[in-house]
Amino acid sequence: MNKKYLTGLFALCLLPFALCKAQVGAPYIHDPSTIAECDGKYYTFGTGGGGLISDDGWSWHSGAERPGGGAAPDVLKIGDRYLVIYGATGGGLGGGHNGRILTMWNKTLDPKSPDFKYTDAVEVCASDGMEDQDAIDPGMLLDPTTGRLWVSYGTYFGTIRLIELDPTTGFRVKGNQEKNIAIDCEATDLIWRDGWYYLLGTHGTCCDGVNSTYNIVVGRSRSVEGPYLDNVGRDMYHGGGKMVIAAGDRVCGPGHFGRTIIDEGVEIMSCHYEADFERSGRSVLGIRPLLWKNGWPVAGERFKGGTFEIESERRGYALELTVDFVRIQQERERFWQMDLSKPLVSIPDQKLEDVVGTWPQGNIPLRCGDYMFRPHQRWTITPVDEAGGYLSNPYFKITIAGTERALAATADKELTTVPQFTGAEEQLWRIEQLTDGTFRIMPKHVPGIEGTNTRLCLYSAADSTPTLAEYDFQSDNAKWNLRNH
Amino acid sequence: MKHKLSLSLVLGLLSVSFGKAQNPVIHDLFTADPTARVFNGKVYLYPSHDILPVEGTRPNWFCMADYHVFSSENLVDWTDHGVIVSQEQVPWGNPTGYSMWAPDCVEKGGKYYFYFPNAPKSGRGFAIGVATADQPEGPFRLESEPIKGVSGIDPCVLVDEDGQSYIYWSGMGIRGAKLKQNMKELDGELREMKMPRREGMPEMPPMLVGGEEMKGLPEGFKEGPFAFRRGNWYYLTFPWVRGSKENGANPTETLAYAMSKSPLGPWDFKGIIMAEHENHCWTNHHSLVEYQGQWYLFYHNNAYSPNDDKRRSVCIEKVTFNSDGTICEVKPTLRGVGVAPATSRIDVDRYSAISEGCTTAFNDTTATFRGWHATLPGKGSWLRFADADFSPLTDAYLVACVKANANTAFSVREKSAKGKVIARFTVTVKSEQGPFRRDMSGQWLTLTAPLEYTPKGTADLVVTCEGDAVSIDWLQFKNRPRYFTPVASDASPAKPDEQGFIRRWKLMEPIAKPIRSNIIFTNTWLRETFDEELARLPKQKAKWHTLDSENYNMKLFRFAEKYGSQTYGSLFWCETVIDCPEEMQNVRLAAGSNGASIWWLNDQEILLLEGDRRMVVDDGVSARLTLNKGRNVLRCAVINGPGLSDMCVRFLDENGKPVTNFQIPLSK
Repeated sequence: MNKKYLTGLFALCLLPFALCKAQVGAPYIHDPSTIAECDGKYYTFGTGGGGLISDDGWSWHSGAERPGGGAAPDVLKIGDRYLVIYGATGGGLGGGHNGRILTMWNKTLDPKSPDFKYTDAVEVCASDGMEDQDAIDPGMLLDPTTGRLWVSYGTYFGTIRLIELDPTTGFRVKGNQEKNIAIDCEATDLIWRDGWYYLLGTHGTCCDGVNSTYNIVVGRSRSVEGPYLDNVGRDMYHGGGKMVIAAGDRVCGPGHFGRTIIDEGVEIMSCHYEADFERSGRSVLGIRPLLWKNGWPVAGERFKGGTFEIESERRGYALELTVDFVRIQQERERFWQMDLSKPLVSIPDQKLEDVVGTWPQGNIPLRCGDYMFRPHQRWTITPVDEAGGYLSNPYFKITIAGTERALAATADKELTTVPQFTGAEEQLWRIEQLTDGTFRIMPKHVPGIEGTNTRLCLYSAADSTPTLAEYDFQSDNAKWNLRNH
Repeated sequence: MKHKLSLSLVLGLLSVSFGKAQNPVIHDLFTADPTARVFNGKVYLYPSHDILPVEGTRPNWFCMADYHVFSSENLVDWTDHGVIVSQEQVPWGNPTGYSMWAPDCVEKGGKYYFYFPNAPKSGRGFAIGVATADQPEGPFRLESEPIKGVSGIDPCVLVDEDGQSYIYWSGMGIRGAKLKQNMKELDGELREMKMPRREGMPEMPPMLVGGEEMKGLPEGFKEGPFAFRRGNWYYLTFPWVRGSKENGANPTETLAYAMSKSPLGPWDFKGIIMAEHENHCWTNHHSLVEYQGQWYLFYHNNAYSPNDDKRRSVCIEKVTFNSDGTICEVKPTLRGVGVAPATSRIDVDRYSAISEGCTTAFNDTTATFRGWHATLPGKGSWLRFADADFSPLTDAYLVACVKANANTAFSVREKSAKGKVIARFTVTVKSEQGPFRRDMSGQWLTLTAPLEYTPKGTADLVVTCEGDAVSIDWLQFKNRPRYFTPVASDASPAKPDEQGFIRRWKLMEPIAKPIRSNIIFTNTWLRETFDEELARLPKQKAKWHTLDSENYNMKLFRFAEKYGSQTYGSLFWCETVIDCPEEMQNVRLAAGSNGASIWWLNDQEILLLEGDRRMVVDDGVSARLTLNKGRNVLRCAVINGPGLSDMCVRFLDENGKPVTNFQIPLSK
């Protein structure tokens, strides 16, 4: 379990430089709400009033609309409506701690839709300015086990509190009393997974550009009402918390967690980075794979491409061209004849030019075999900027290292390599890190099947035989490791 | 399905509406035709339950499918015990009749008898059923047949002092009859009566009807009899339409009454108890009950449904009797009855009196159960809310939910518009400063104010407008939590708490340090700053306070609020004394602070927590150290810019277990 996870991370750490950027477009936002999908588009709302829209999850631009101003909203689809919750105040900035949290509904998040109309906002909780509490930064959880709707809220000024709303009205449940569940954090969110409730909170310093130490921590509980304990058993009500994501990779200050489940075993977390060092230190939307390690959530690394073995999780064989194995010529020393006085020499890797002449000129099919770090097993994965993307990444091309020979999906739902990458959609690949650290690799398009493919993925039909088949998180046939070794 | 079920179980069964001493008294259901009874020292309210017309029923007509029962000990907090009878359960009833009109419930011989009108399975009109229970809130067992000889609505049962019971109902006039001892049958002959023919309807076969029409009542439409005994007088009270459009009067229901020395009359008509509703709500329906020495009138109006008078809500007023037994006319109020605890949300829009120009309006016209707010139009306008109970207040402040379109101010006073000021509020809805506070005009705001004066016992609240118009939804007094207690000079030594936290500290009144960001708290900065302050310490004239914290942590922010010049941007010196019965080796100091801190034991620096810290239990620990036998002095300095300053500290042994076997002999 650990090894799988580490392999993915390890491979990524070795990349010499960033091959692809964070979310593209103009993803400038602070305190983004959990990403919501509406009619095929993605939305996130931030502090201030507006929010971002994306057609594909990768390229973001402003344009989402939320009235009421204030700070740090969250949004949740309940039935066929969207419930938006936000703090109408600013958490002590420029004023006191009289916080108010309101909810409102909309049938759509698309400001251009004729149905786009928010209901009147309703106050669901408030802090009176005199207590150790500031009612801002709400995060919602619709409990999948009970159908009950929970909200955590609060900031550093006192406690994080839990309240319950009526999921049919968005109003506070009658008679519901606030419960203190944490201190020392803000921008909290609740999630549920596999019998555990997780409270995510943002710790550290906000709003100080490249010096912001914002980071996201977590505790978990068997009951939504807590206590939320961290990995050493410390209650978040006493300041406990285990790190989910901190600075790194030229961004700092991740805050305001949101979880989006794309598919079974395919999860992402959204946040903002206080500062993107590549973009003038502006605050930007961040999307990272969400991994689960021994029952704890942890942010995966941003996948940027590189040169890898594509190793099947099924057998551990490497995806390779179906070409003749070319032996490396070696002056062999039998172990019973070793001359220990001879100096050791470094044997060079087999080079592409040593073998490429033996390969056919046209399309070459694929198989899986023992990894021997040979040219027909080494794949370069490169983002294709103009090809768009999906939540978390752009589309990639997958070519044999040093060549333009590209992995492609075929109309009979098999695989081939074409001698020259043309940009055709069946040569573009969606690569997502799964919750266990392995990867799912999907062609953008399968010839003969209309539209963008979201079902078929690179799949081990047998130990030695790769194909395309329906994604299934429960099967190792659907999973791959990307290893640079 | 399973999910839905558990949801409704959680939300559905019992709900309590706290502290709303006002009319209407039930705030989440439509309730009408209230019969109030006193059982076991509590008031039980059996109303009918209006709902919006269900598809297939007559539009704009009454629609009632079940009964709830409510109870209260103070006429302020009402507990909804949920549904006691619903139309599908009635063996003889039409399960989709939606005709569960005005009910009654009485106690006899330790059993509770619930009487209700309902549409029978076949035929037109109403019959009256009985259900019995061992408790006032049920569960109720339904009789298989309605009461024979009663065709009509609005049952009322009077159990007389001699044990004889009488039933009254409305059907072909107001009728009354003796009940048998079993409470389920009429006592006396049933006679065949011809039903009046309704226009456009076929002739009905004759029916067997019991009892007799009550004599001596006035002409005009009457229904909803409620009979009771007070002293030697029997009262028959009833909704009555006295006016007619022809004479220009308002032809809707009043509440009227007649008196008699005998339970079935003849009756002597006396006049009205309550006049017609001013807003033309057509019905009224009522009961009178004595509770803790005071008589009350329960009635209904359509406050929550002003455009539809078939959706009604129960209200309560006090009733007084003249010495001749006649009833003083009752005026409906918004304030209603009962004393409002000052610590509950006080809906001042349910006022007792207002100055001219004050208005009320729904908070949300599409969701009227969200209540009303009151608007004071300008300087000098006022509103009075009678009977708030201030006795629960200790160290309180006042919270107000208000909105305004321009910056304004208002005060809350005792007794009158010129009374003593309890608290003053400034409402700032437009300010230039800060990124988040742009324009709050027209938005509901929760504001707080300290109390200038705390009334004793029960007093009237008066809100006075001191500027431009302001709207108020509610007021609520809140007690501050107790954060710490001063330690007396003769206090015995303290011990660490069970988790080892040291709660007794000597704190110096905070030194103002105007710091805008906590990022500056580097190790070097902290050492330099604290050294400087430490050197100055002996000359500081600031006062020290010895306090026991109520919590494991010491809330320095609250200390600064009480004893300092500013809450943010303060430096705190904290000292405590530790007496150990023996030397303790290899222990560690474990501390957390908001913000940065340095800790010294016996003048040696043992821990430094730098940067923009928040208090975390055991955030940092010292190296292993030795606590001397006898006296040890622990000192810390905490510095914070913007932040809720506090700190917590304990000693941990080699195994990480808290050290608790020492004393803290500090006193004032």
